[in-house]
Amino acid sequence: MTSEPRAFIALDTGAATVAAAMIGRVGSRWRLIGSITMPAGADVEAIIAVLGARAADADPALAVALDLRHGGAVDLPRLEVASHPPRKLAVVAASQRALEPLVATASRSGWLTAAASTDGTDPLAMSTLLLDSGVHGVLVGAGDPPAADERRALGELAALIAAAAGRRPELVVVLAGGMSDHLPAFGDVGRRPGEVVLGPSARRGIPGGPLADLLLELALPPADAHRSLGWGAMALADVLDRRVDVVEIGHDAGTRAAASPGVGGASATAELAVVPTAALAPADPDDAVVDRVGLWSTWGADRHRLRDRLRELRIAPWADATGDGATLRLAAARAALSRLAECTPDWDDRPPADLTVATGGAWAVAAAPTVALALVDVLRRPGAGQFAIDHARILAPLGSIPDADERRAMVADLVDDLLAPLGTVVTPAGMRTGRNAGSVVVHGVTGEVRLDLTPGGLALVDLPPGSSAVAEFTFRDTVKLGARGRHFAIEVTGGLGGLVVDMRDVPLRLPDRADLRGEMLESWQATLLNGRDA
Amino acid sequence: MSTADVRLVPARRLISAPVDALFALAPGDRALVAAGDSVVVGAPIAEMIRDPRLDEFDLPTDAEAPLPGSRWTGNNRRGTDGGPTGEYIFDWHGRWRVATGDITDALETPFAGIVREVRPGTGITIRAAGRGIRGIVALGGPTRGRLQLGADGELRSGGLDVGSAGTILVVGSRVDAETLTRARAMGVCGVVVAGLASKERRDFIGSEARQRAALHRLPPFAVLVLDGATRRPLAGAVRAVLAALAGFEVAIVTDPPMLVFDRPNLVIPPPPVDLVRIRAGAMSGREGQFITAIGPRRFPGGAHLEAGIVRLPDGTDAAIPLGDLERFV
Repeated sequence: MTSEPRAFIALDTGAATVAAAMIGRVGSRWRLIGSITMPAGADVEAIIAVLGARAADADPALAVALDLRHGGAVDLPRLEVASHPPRKLAVVAASQRALEPLVATASRSGWLTAAASTDGTDPLAMSTLLLDSGVHGVLVGAGDPPAADERRALGELAALIAAAAGRRPELVVVLAGGMSDHLPAFGDVGRRPGEVVLGPSARRGIPGGPLADLLLELALPPADAHRSLGWGAMALADVLDRRVDVVEIGHDAGTRAAASPGVGGASATAELAVVPTAALAPADPDDAVVDRVGLWSTWGADRHRLRDRLRELRIAPWADATGDGATLRLAAARAALSRLAECTPDWDDRPPADLTVATGGAWAVAAAPTVALALVDVLRRPGAGQFAIDHARILAPLGSIPDADERRAMVADLVDDLLAPLGTVVTPAGMRTGRNAGSVVVHGVTGEVRLDLTPGGLALVDLPPGSSAVAEFTFRDTVKLGARGRHFAIEVTGGLGGLVVDMRDVPLRLPDRADLRGEMLESWQATLLNGRDA
Repeated sequence: MSTADVRLVPARRLISAPVDALFALAPGDRALVAAGDSVVVGAPIAEMIRDPRLDEFDLPTDAEAPLPGSRWTGNNRRGTDGGPTGEYIFDWHGRWRVATGDITDALETPFAGIVREVRPGTGITIRAAGRGIRGIVALGGPTRGRLQLGADGELRSGGLDVGSAGTILVVGSRVDAETLTRARAMGVCGVVVAGLASKERRDFIGSEARQRAALHRLPPFAVLVLDGATRRPLAGAVRAVLAALAGFEVAIVTDPPMLVFDRPNLVIPPPPVDLVRIRAGAMSGREGQFITAIGPRRFPGGAHLEAGIVRLPDGTDAAIPLGDLERFV
């Protein structure tokens, strides 16, 4: 017996659910032994004890090999990440024009935002905002160099913020772009408990970049699950040698990580967006949030009842996950996903990801094919891509391994276990409606399957997880499917949802009438769950 | 029943202690207490400016430069004892911006305690001498009154009478905005309710804002929501504590949303360890005995969820998702 542990627990403590996974050394590699997801608020030790007991009961010989004695799971080493409630950032600028890119950048960088500009807010209201005990930081920015409409107001703005920062020394202050010149107004910044940080200016239309990275760094604590997700996505992209997009819809924020493998000796890269307004159920849902959930809901409730249910979902996100509650949850997840996509508009210009991975508590209780459908309903790009779910929620804990090589090795060992394949979705764009669009022949190991393609619906080919095939498309007209053309041969892999040919509009157009919309959403879902074409 | 099993049910704290309540201040408001002060029930702790404005003033040439947040006092007005007061906000080109106003209202502490922190323009934190029952949200302002138990179901406006003036009413499962505004008008100090629908919440907030904007304001009034937005009865454990507090003075504070009571001799026995409450689904609001965790089960909608067996008071057993249960600790 060695002192080196042969198993450990990966723990992702979210605000709504706790996911625990047992990972053990089997033969010469690490494998996922088992996982469990429970409501937050349950006792973590009890959760791990149940996980250990189930693993030992399922395979006593494996338990012996892992030195896992009965009741001993709670003593295993833990790799733990946790989500933290987002803090509030006051975003301030000298003009409304300068404020917009700052807000766009801050709102995708892990902060809840409250905005004010000198031309739209009086100094008293601005001081009230900065002195509010719920505000934890202030981002004040200007163009670099400042524009003519900003220059006059910057001095007074700096004096106001410096006065508020003096009264609240714990406040984190970020001076972006041309505001950096006003650093002397803040006195001896080295003596304040709260940092005063200089940052680059925000870019209009491109909310990511160095300022977003800086704000993320300030927003997320070291062992934060959102931060680790970015590192995990990067390791996954490197191991698979694929462009990977990870989307998480959580209780307090939505997260999107886009990772690319290293090329030509360069290391892999990842870009991270953490959007608190893309949480599953925002704390105080306004009409826009409620209406967007209503758009995806098949439930047919009025706005007041829907808002009540969203508030309940916020208060007890683990509860009411059956029947209507499950439907509402998926509608809320789609709405959150669309808010997440809106906050990362610059990512639409990139090539689509080869693999999209869903993770987070919002998907934990949904049937796998409906998760795939929710993703392709919202994140619509012409092309072909694989979809998978991080069913045991171990990507974030693995991402928290500090050493990049060790992290990569662990992900390489676990890559077959951590992803449950949902299938491949092929989304051609530019088809003419109202007539047969062509056909697809899927050449699999067991034979060929031929399907006629009808625009506006979904076509499903049963392709189980672990299998692969070549799908040969022949379209009547020229369509966009990565490139433009009529004939395409695409290598596809199977999954719990099989191969889905999505011939609906890009972007998706839904009927205005709620009853028609509900019928359409239900028919698409039935296609994936029951295997009937819509 | 295994103790380990019931620990899989999400826990909710029945009684919170200590209670640190924050009373928010805006620029211009004047704190009347300092950190470390002991305050009694009803003691004024701040003067709140009604309609604050920002004025600009030059400092006299021989005056010492003030710090932002310090108090400003203007010249005496004819016929008054003192001049106008305000708060220095910031200095720009030698002219100070001062938050000031003409009318002030007194803010009183609804419970006794010790002032822990005073931050002008931000808030006053007081540690209450007592314990609290945490809610989901509290609307209105800090208030206090004698606790009075009302109907178990929904309270209608016609069910209110003037005899409830000066009380904090426990109204059961749900209440509408009309009843709340009528209660406020009749001198009721506050309402404790299990659920408040979004529409009623919005209507009441609008009514409260109009009332706060009026020249002659009514005394502070608060609504403490204990559970959520849908109709469900108060939890048995909470109801038992409230019943024990009936007839005694309690307070409602908004940050954190809480019912505060100072009854040091009141012994609150912990709820039975296996007592669980169903907070969602068809049996929402019912309580029972947790028997055992049974692992993943398939529920309507195709969801596979971790479940447990709950024995209801009528002797029947039901398999309930663990997420739909809660227990009090």
